[in-house]
Amino acid sequence: MLFTWFMLTGLILLFAPQNLTNDLQFTFARIFRWPLTIGKNFSLYARTRQPASDATFDRKSQYENHITNLQEQLRLKQEEIIELSRLRVRHPALEKAGFIMADVIRYSINETRSELTINRGQNDGLVKGLFVLGDNSIIGKISEVSPRTARLKLFTDPASRIAVRIGNLNIDRLMQGGGKDEAKIRLLPTKYKVRVGDKVLAGKKPGFLDASMIIGVVARCERDDRNPSMWDITVKPVCDIERLNSITVIIMNPQN
Amino acid sequence: MRWFRFAIFVSLVAVLQASLLLDIIALPPLSSKPNLLLILLVFFAIHSNTSNAIITSFAIGFAADISIGSTMGSQTISFGLFGTALAYLHRVIAIRKVHYQAFAIFITAFMTGTLAHFLAILRGQTTVPNIYSDILGKALYSAVVGPIFFLLASWLMRIKNHRFGRH
Repeated sequence: MLFTWFMLTGLILLFAPQNLTNDLQFTFARIFRWPLTIGKNFSLYARTRQPASDATFDRKSQYENHITNLQEQLRLKQEEIIELSRLRVRHPALEKAGFIMADVIRYSINETRSELTINRGQNDGLVKGLFVLGDNSIIGKISEVSPRTARLKLFTDPASRIAVRIGNLNIDRLMQGGGKDEAKIRLLPTKYKVRVGDKVLAGKKPGFLDASMIIGVVARCERDDRNPSMWDITVKPVCDIERLNSITVIIMNPQN
Repeated sequence: MRWFRFAIFVSLVAVLQASLLLDIIALPPLSSKPNLLLILLVFFAIHSNTSNAIITSFAIGFAADISIGSTMGSQTISFGLFGTALAYLHRVIAIRKVHYQAFAIFITAFMTGTLAHFLAILRGQTTVPNIYSDILGKALYSAVVGPIFFLLASWLMRIKNHRFGRH
């Protein structure tokens, strides 16, 4: 009988929710924290077997680790400088602009939403509305900023509106995001010649973008069903946004 | 049975088992350490009457569960099951000689280790590589250390250790 009750208790413990049973283990660790720490210190002492130079060794090891970290950070910064210099060479109009490189930490790309979260924010000088480059093309604008991160709304997001110009046509139109990986340009009369493959450029926006830059390419060009005298143009990005690991934010009037 | 003394002793051994102090005597290549709680299990299983052996087996198993940080309940069940089995076996075959005790510790360690491992898998825990080598290493080490630890346990619990005696 005794055995059965104990066995039942064991089974309850085994199948009880883990967050409850973990509390027992944490309580044990909390109660016996002091002897457990002593044991750890003894063990480390016995394993290192360097009584005379322990402190020196620890400090040296810490410094070596710190130097390695600094060297790696320096290498990354050098790569960043090289990349930014290339950007300035490629876009002379943006010579006075500031560039901030950022890593993408989250992708939210689906039919209803096309956004990226990056690891730079207000503390790095980012503000709402700044244009963002990916693979040398405009991919969207900063839509929300927090002190350490920012959200970037891609031009393919249904809520995105960006003024664009198609190829050599000297006419600006509004491009609206069309969901996953495409955007639409409407209200362009069919008298304008538009071909598949034509480049689409983001229009100038003083204070945010001082020179037109490529944003996409015409993927489809059909007459609008509702208004046959207008084009229904589908634009695709010129880079694979989902494969981007880092992006560059353009700051036209950097403070520093 | 001195239950208060038993509780203090098991708590001390559980802390010792959980601390990294035993790492000092860990043997390569798998850093095998003796399982002191398991040695205690065998000690009480062969030095107590059957009902006390059942209680001590489950209590030590529970101590192993909360101190080792394994899947909760797995050690309680495996220690309880094999501790009880050993207590019943001891009623038929007296485990008094040192090498019998060492062998009992080895077999019990291997069985409890294996059962705890399967119960952990049943509970959805991921398994570790070389698990059987680890269990075997611990069982062997415990079997070697066990009879020596029995001396300390019998002195602390004021139980006569009849390792050399013939009854």
